[in-house]
Amino acid sequence: MASLFSASLPSSDPSYSFNQAPTTASEPRQHAFYPYTDNGGSTLGISGADFTIIAGDTRSTSGYNINTRYAPKLFKIGGDGPNNENARIVLSVVGFAADGRALKERLDTVVKMYKYQHGKDISVHACAQRLSHLLYNKRFFPFYVTAILGGVDDEGKGALYSYDPVGSYEREQCRAAGAAASLIMPFLDNQVNLKNQYDPNSGPGLEKKPREAQPLPRETVEQLVKDAFTSAVERHIEVGDGLQTMIITKDGIQETYSPLKKD
Amino acid sequence: MFIARSEYGRLFQVEYSLEAIKLGSTAIGVSTAAGVILGVEKRITSTLLETSSVEKIVEIDRHIGCAMSGLQADARSMIEHARVTSQSHEFHYNERLGVESCTQAICDLALRFGEGAEGEESIMSRPFGVALLIAGYDEEGPSLYHAEPSGTFYRYDAKAIGSGSEGAQAELQNEFHKSLTLEEAEVLVLKTLKQVMEEKLDSNNVQLASVTRDKGFRIHTDEEMAGVVSRLEGSGA
Amino acid sequence: MDALVQQYSRPSHQNTLSSNAAFPDDSELTTTIPPPLSLKFALPPITAPQSWLRSMTDDHANPSCPIKIAHGTTTLAFRFKGGIVVATDSRATAGNWIASQTVKKVIEINSCLLGTMAGGAADCQYWLAYLGMQCRLHELRHKQRISVAAASKILANLVYSYKGMGLSMGTMCAGVTPTEGPALYYIDSDGTRLSGNLFCVGSGQTFAYGVLDAEYKYDMEDDEALELGKRSILAATHRDAYSGGFINLYIVKEKGWEKIGFMDTNPIFWQTKLEKGEFSNVTAKLD
Repeated sequence: MASLFSASLPSSDPSYSFNQAPTTASEPRQHAFYPYTDNGGSTLGISGADFTIIAGDTRSTSGYNINTRYAPKLFKIGGDGPNNENARIVLSVVGFAADGRALKERLDTVVKMYKYQHGKDISVHACAQRLSHLLYNKRFFPFYVTAILGGVDDEGKGALYSYDPVGSYEREQCRAAGAAASLIMPFLDNQVNLKNQYDPNSGPGLEKKPREAQPLPRETVEQLVKDAFTSAVERHIEVGDGLQTMIITKDGIQETYSPLKKD
Repeated sequence: MFIARSEYGRLFQVEYSLEAIKLGSTAIGVSTAAGVILGVEKRITSTLLETSSVEKIVEIDRHIGCAMSGLQADARSMIEHARVTSQSHEFHYNERLGVESCTQAICDLALRFGEGAEGEESIMSRPFGVALLIAGYDEEGPSLYHAEPSGTFYRYDAKAIGSGSEGAQAELQNEFHKSLTLEEAEVLVLKTLKQVMEEKLDSNNVQLASVTRDKGFRIHTDEEMAGVVSRLEGSGA
Repeated sequence: MDALVQQYSRPSHQNTLSSNAAFPDDSELTTTIPPPLSLKFALPPITAPQSWLRSMTDDHANPSCPIKIAHGTTTLAFRFKGGIVVATDSRATAGNWIASQTVKKVIEINSCLLGTMAGGAADCQYWLAYLGMQCRLHELRHKQRISVAAASKILANLVYSYKGMGLSMGTMCAGVTPTEGPALYYIDSDGTRLSGNLFCVGSGQTFAYGVLDAEYKYDMEDDEALELGKRSILAATHRDAYSGGFINLYIVKEKGWEKIGFMDTNPIFWQTKLEKGEFSNVTAKLD
């Protein structure tokens, strides 16, 4: 069996004669193991005083090919039944879509099991920690994803958590992830966190007062999300086709879809 | 493993363990709006016994404590399981474990003396011979649970277990009301214990503990014990 | 050869190397009530998971690696007369990309123990949280708080058991117990564990050491020591591109730790330059 197999292995080396001792060809050889594809796209989340908005484009690419124009990156987590009715938590994943899907399935299972075991809905706070550990459980074979989790916390405030592929996380006001993160994030820093904006009435030099960031009203945030994506579409090939948005409030999740450029 | 059953379908092993608890020292829990009071009798069998080494009330987590009656050695593995479950929950969910979930976790262990339905390994040869009163304060407020060796648990406003449980439960039935303060509950627990104990109650042969929102689980210090005992005596009971 | 045949003629989930590989925690998701304490990690179904992981995640050796893990840091801690000062920056980088400027690199393990975070952000966050749990269990079992020595050893033994698997962390445990007083330990993912008076860890460590070694003395007042910690981090954020953001400052006293602040480096830099006349090589003006 073994010899049969080796004869059919493609090799650039000349085959050896019988009096030669078998060398490296008889040892196990590791072929390139590359289990990931970057499916492109971008996601972003912004939290407000009593809501969180998470958005993602719906284009899926591999290399320069567009696989589909509608592949959602946003998933409702928990709630009832396969359609997650009455859910209050949204997970967005960008990177390798299959890993993203697997991660979403796991988190959804965990959140639903939590409700059975503890008789209450999981808080975003608890869900955020659990998601971090789900990612870290694959520390040595990571999920190729950047996740953002959004919801409303126990005090009714918008809550947004961002993750690296192996689970380090942080609660933030805003976060962009994926292919166009480097285009969108600086825009959000400036517009949401008011980075490098100063009070025009304050003095020069050390007297200069930075403007303090306040939670933004919903209309402003929705407009920021639109502007971020339409701009990213203009300059990034992997972003486009459609914009899927979910707004989480204490009353539930409102989902919208609006078209983006399709070129 | 073979589990003996009677012709009426009763599981003898479990029933024996339920009987074992009736031989144990008395433990009482009383739940109030402000928190839960646990109390146990210590049964000082010898004047040479170091009373502080009799440990029948233990901490499970900052917000959960438990009192036991029956074979204390068996309780150790249940407590350890509860502690690990509670810490593991905090590790994975960054929040405190609910009191009911903690009780459930303990009870999940109770029937592990036979193979589980899904082939789980049997981890002990017989059922536990100890019953627990689990007191806690979580986001739902204070609560008191009674966990039996059979693996069933119920929530109570006030509950007595152990050898004096019948008399004590009747007393609690009469005396308990929803508007008890924490201080009144301390006295009620001691008063009830006093009635069912063979020895004369003093601040050494009983132990109290409380679970409240702000202070969590706390075992009463010697001074606090002496204070409650003198209040009990002052009340003329 | 046989190994290769075996590897492909057998479903990967039966592979010895990856007996838990396919879905390591699916049982955890559905059966046990809380996820168990046994730590099961998924491994790729290949013979050399370590080198594979390195090729996928090590952005230092391979800048175009696909998975960029958040890295980079300056952290320091030193013992002095009044306790221990712990200071860090707050920047996380993934390759050249600044992933975050607001990372909390001081991890509060419990009211008397702090851990610092250098290296892989997730490794530090996860294992220091795990350490926190172990410390709490120790407290419940032994009815007294764990010593800093013991806590640091739990962590050191833990990372040592994963040696060669690709964990990346350089952490300091600073804490205080009645028996030890203020105690400071350095632990890294190679398994090193050192007790000492002064450590700087991370890509900006050399710059921090430069300031700290020059100015450090054991007999300092609290404010003096805090200022030195702050100044050392400032120096590192100035010269190390992988460090920056905010200065996170803590002090450990007899009663436990105290958070001093989370301060933006930019105004501190200008203050230090304009009011104290330091950084005079910087000729730019603030307007």
